[in-house]
Amino acid sequence: MIDFFIFVGVLLCVLITFIFYRVFAGPTLFDRLISMGVIGTKTLVLLLLIGFIYKRPDMFVDISLVYTLLNFIGVLAITKYLRRYKTDGY
Amino acid sequence: MVWQLDLFLLVFIIVLAILSLVVKDLLLSIILLGGYSFFMALIYAEMGAVDVSFTEASVGAGVSTIFMIVALYFTARFVRRDVKTKKISLAGLILASLTALVMIYVADAMPDWGNPQAPAHLHISDRYIEKSQIEMATPNMVTTILADYRGYDTLGETTVIFIAGIVCLLLLGTATQRLKHNYDTKI
Amino acid sequence: MDIKDIISMVFIGGGLFFFFTGVVGLLRFPDIYTRMHALGKCDTLGLLLNVVGLAIYNSSSLTSIKILFIAVFILLTSPVVTHIIAKITYDSGIKPWQKDNS
Repeated sequence: MIDFFIFVGVLLCVLITFIFYRVFAGPTLFDRLISMGVIGTKTLVLLLLIGFIYKRPDMFVDISLVYTLLNFIGVLAITKYLRRYKTDGY
Repeated sequence: MVWQLDLFLLVFIIVLAILSLVVKDLLLSIILLGGYSFFMALIYAEMGAVDVSFTEASVGAGVSTIFMIVALYFTARFVRRDVKTKKISLAGLILASLTALVMIYVADAMPDWGNPQAPAHLHISDRYIEKSQIEMATPNMVTTILADYRGYDTLGETTVIFIAGIVCLLLLGTATQRLKHNYDTKI
Repeated sequence: MDIKDIISMVFIGGGLFFFFTGVVGLLRFPDIYTRMHALGKCDTLGLLLNVVGLAIYNSSSLTSIKILFIAVFILLTSPVVTHIIAKITYDSGIKPWQKDNS
């Protein structure tokens, strides 16, 4: 089962590598913003998987909870900035 | 540590760090630094330092992102076109590369990760465990180390952090008032 | 291998499939609105399936409840984030993609 978890983690890392293309090349700022959001969710699952690989999921679950909330709060702060200083997408 | 994941994660943080320096847009740089902190917390968690990881996730990704956005309110997002950026100086480049080489050379002499025979684990821990009850009579050993053996050290640290907090509050307070003033007069 | 392991493997595999489709949508779709359409759904569902699979695999009940809390938070926050970004994109004047004026 641990081999399966490591396999899933490596697959997630490969997916993150593909998302980095959109972070590099995304034409608008919002493309890059949603790409970083997706990377945040992938790292959340990676963190839980690392917890299960080490057989101590109870320690890692708390950090995952913090991750979900901070992802949300960061996006809220950035959009609050963009609401005042309007951008034309770049 | 799981080397398959390590390989990817270390490459990711190097890519994100270089990207956040190269990019001309400060807001994008903040977003990339948030991602950097998430990966850094992941690496700390993978090394078994869950408390450091928790701090990195909450301070590095959460609070400092919001602080940097607050700082961005008082400056511009982009570099002005007419300001000429400095070229890289050759002497600085040579100095930085030499420092990096020396650091890589020294890092080779460090003990391996999780090595029980490392010098940090050999001498002082046993003495703390044996003698701290007798010498200080404080039940909590961590408190004894922080507040008794390293008392002056901790005093200096807390003073520095206290002064930094006061200065941040003062700076942000005047800045917020100025912003509010500008905003009101504009409308 | 336990029956519980197989169930959780099926859930995690489903979650990976949805992550994969989301990333394909992110890379292949023509503009920001369609990319957000792909990501908002695939990412939420993939994360939910992954988290539920891990919660099934875990044996201690308190940790499972905490993991399910993550799922609840995702269900609450993910639509909000997608909606906010879509609204702020539309406000900043980016027109949706249409087939003839590509």
